[in-house]
Amino acid sequence: MRIIVCVKQICYVYARTGMDPEQNFLAPEDKIYRVNPYDEVAVELALKVKELHGAGEVIILTLGTIIAETELRRCLAMGADHLYWIDRGDKMDPWHKSGFLARAVKDIGADLVLCGKESLDTQNGQVGAFMAHHLGVPFVSAITELTIDEDSPSARVRRSAGRGLREVIECPLPAVFSVDLGFHELRLPTYKNKKKALSMPIQKLSYREEITVPKTISINIFTPRPRSKRVPAPDSRLAAYDRIEQLLTGSRIEKKGMVLSGDPESQAEGIISFLREHGFLEERLG
Amino acid sequence: MLTAFDILLIGLALVIMVWGLSRRWSAWRMGQEENRSGDWAGLFTYIMGHKKILKNRNPGIAHLIVFWGFMIPLLIIIMAQFNFTIPPIPAQILSLLTDILGIALLAGTIFFLVRRVRSTRQGGPKKAIFSLFILLLVLITGFFAEGTRLSIVHPKFIWESPFGWLLSIGLPASPIFMQLMIRIHFFAVLFFIAALPFTVIRHLAAAPLNVFYRRKNPRGELKGIALDEGPIGANTIKDLSWKQLLDAEACVSCGRCDDNCPASISGKPLSPQKVIQDILEQMESLARNSVKTIDSTIPPLESRITTDEIWSCTTCMACVEHCPVFIEPMDKIIDMRRYQIMGKGLLPAEAKAMIRNLEIYGDVHGKGIAHRGDWALNLDVPPIADEGLNPEILLWVGCSGTFHPRYQEVSRAMVHILRTARVRFALLGKDELCCGDPARRLGEESLFLKLAQKNIHRLIEYHVKKIVTLCPHCFNTLKNEYPHIRGDSRSGEKVSIEVVHATEYVMNLIEKKRIVPTYPIGKRVAIHDPCYLGRVNHVYEPPREIIKSLPEIQLKELKRHHENGFCCGGGGGRMWLHEHLGRRINLIRAEEVSETEVDLLGTACPYCLMMLDDGIKALEKEKPPKVLDIVEMVASSIG
Repeated sequence: MRIIVCVKQICYVYARTGMDPEQNFLAPEDKIYRVNPYDEVAVELALKVKELHGAGEVIILTLGTIIAETELRRCLAMGADHLYWIDRGDKMDPWHKSGFLARAVKDIGADLVLCGKESLDTQNGQVGAFMAHHLGVPFVSAITELTIDEDSPSARVRRSAGRGLREVIECPLPAVFSVDLGFHELRLPTYKNKKKALSMPIQKLSYREEITVPKTISINIFTPRPRSKRVPAPDSRLAAYDRIEQLLTGSRIEKKGMVLSGDPESQAEGIISFLREHGFLEERLG
Repeated sequence: MLTAFDILLIGLALVIMVWGLSRRWSAWRMGQEENRSGDWAGLFTYIMGHKKILKNRNPGIAHLIVFWGFMIPLLIIIMAQFNFTIPPIPAQILSLLTDILGIALLAGTIFFLVRRVRSTRQGGPKKAIFSLFILLLVLITGFFAEGTRLSIVHPKFIWESPFGWLLSIGLPASPIFMQLMIRIHFFAVLFFIAALPFTVIRHLAAAPLNVFYRRKNPRGELKGIALDEGPIGANTIKDLSWKQLLDAEACVSCGRCDDNCPASISGKPLSPQKVIQDILEQMESLARNSVKTIDSTIPPLESRITTDEIWSCTTCMACVEHCPVFIEPMDKIIDMRRYQIMGKGLLPAEAKAMIRNLEIYGDVHGKGIAHRGDWALNLDVPPIADEGLNPEILLWVGCSGTFHPRYQEVSRAMVHILRTARVRFALLGKDELCCGDPARRLGEESLFLKLAQKNIHRLIEYHVKKIVTLCPHCFNTLKNEYPHIRGDSRSGEKVSIEVVHATEYVMNLIEKKRIVPTYPIGKRVAIHDPCYLGRVNHVYEPPREIIKSLPEIQLKELKRHHENGFCCGGGGGRMWLHEHLGRRINLIRAEEVSETEVDLLGTACPYCLMMLDDGIKALEKEKPPKVLDIVEMVASSIG
């Protein structure tokens, strides 16, 4: 049983103690680099399956610049066997991310792919579903428990369906599951494993070819008008009045327009010509 | 006079004794290497004075009597077997001495025998009955032989053997009876000698050896482990050091550790004596099959000592304090914890979050270093990183002082005191991390080292000269443990930083009249000694001196105080573990507090403050004493 767990490294902001408005009042120590907690649970689930079946591999797959290496290695120390890294530093949307991840999954080969329900930073929760789409396999979201039947092969998962509802779903493998927190007690890595994880290689995967976007094509992007001003976070040292003032001046919408004058006919003419100018009315010829 | 046959028997008994002792020697010698130096002067004063044994008064005195009553007559009797003459007067004095000490020994032995027979404790103590019985036989037959000899030789009173003479009145002048008594006496002595390594009497050899090799460095310092070499913690007894095994060898099951252990008293499964005895039993069984045992088949310590026992320890060091022969059950428990957490990754679930917080955020509450300065908001306390500050002291606030809402008040009180005394002080602020004590006492040595190295680097970087800590746990770690940790690679230099606890520093300020307590805060105050301040670092008097310097106040002592002080139940990482076994330790202590009628209870430790506050509130008394930190008391007294 080869299980790939997709792990996202996140920059988690837990405080705002900086002095610089340009940095949104963020100081370097306000951020911690860690792996997404949901993904940690996914690693734990995968390891439990591996332990139960006595054999198999748990492979960790990550994407983007390495910002939380210690935490990734901690995941390895928990008991994972390999760490693959897709070397793409650029900012991506979930569709592209899932595309690259799916390519890596195809290349590495796996019976099961697990990922976190969502990430703590963007909270889109889309990557897992998109990845299942790319791979053409079933997808179940927000699972909390996982049992594998290796003979069929299939998986029985329990997922939280919201409002206290639980669903038990049986699903053929290979599949993609996204993992919710559940009640799992995450294991502590032993010292021996921690030391071993320090020397384990990060296996690099390079994909130069871009992901194609077949279904939706953005032809044009319209920026909102009037252009939104960049609003710095209000300075907490100011008085309340000044802070509100600051907020208001930052986001004030200034109307741009003209007032027509004259008799009704000429005003109507004016409106029609404005609409024509801006392409709202088409000139009917003939 | 001895015949050749007698000498042969004596030789045989001695050979058995030496053989037995050497087997036992090799048993505890199989432990890991540890560098310990002996201490002749310490051993001499210990044996002469019996100071530690006398802590338990009546048995202590009895032991002192038995010890001298055993040793001196033994020497005299051995000397008497050789052919030489001494002048009559010293000889008579020696004889008198032997007689008196013999009677004292008899009394002491009977005292112990009665004590053992009446003891309700299981295990250990009953084993001593046999040895005591042999000793009693030796004594009685000795006196009977002496009495018969006197009734044959000297029918009149002689002053050098008063008790012998007294006995001689009632005994027949029969040489056969005398010979019989002498033979029984002789065989009993031989049996005593030969049985020495196999009974409780072996503490005659093991206990002084353990005292000889006792620890010289401060008690608060846990023995570090070389993580990359050697075993990680203790899985089997082979992972313990030879000194730790010698500890087990020296134990006579006196039970003083159990009498003072908060876990034992509150009905938890832990008993320090059982831990030591279990180690001893495993050691003995391993020594019996040492030839055929390969390392992988040695039963783990866990097969006898359960994890519930291991996690019940509050590391309060009461067992270490009260052991008459300097056995330290605590460091074995810590070594077993180390194996649990670092070797197997096992830890009660509730404490995992704390360990994870330490890993990610560097503090036990998981608030993050960015929030380190929040408690001092609007107090304008300078961080040490500020230029041109040149502070006299660094105030080490600690995780509790920084993040715990209740203990933040104490931090602010301390700032108030320092301001009033016009002390130039600074904080590490965002550069401070947890000192690592909770991680280390739970057994997470690698995490402790990581935190400690970062902290040490900071302290060196800012050229800190003196540190004042609010929390006794930080105090102990900074003072006793940090000097033995290699800083990270960037700092090779050796620096010595003075570390004092807030109570010591405040007492000093009061003595120098830099602050003057003026306003009364309460009538009757009792002090709860934090373990890591009192028992571990011997800071007993500063808190009391401070209280005495406050106006209109009367200091009362609790039922258990000074080195007998009772743990609050929060140390050793127990603050983060559920207390689901036995009674709650803080409730037991709170009851003791409410027995002593006081208005205020002063302490000097964040854990004690919270645990006792909870405990006293849980008792729902009509007029509960208020639990305050001593620093707070001073702050409100100076106005």
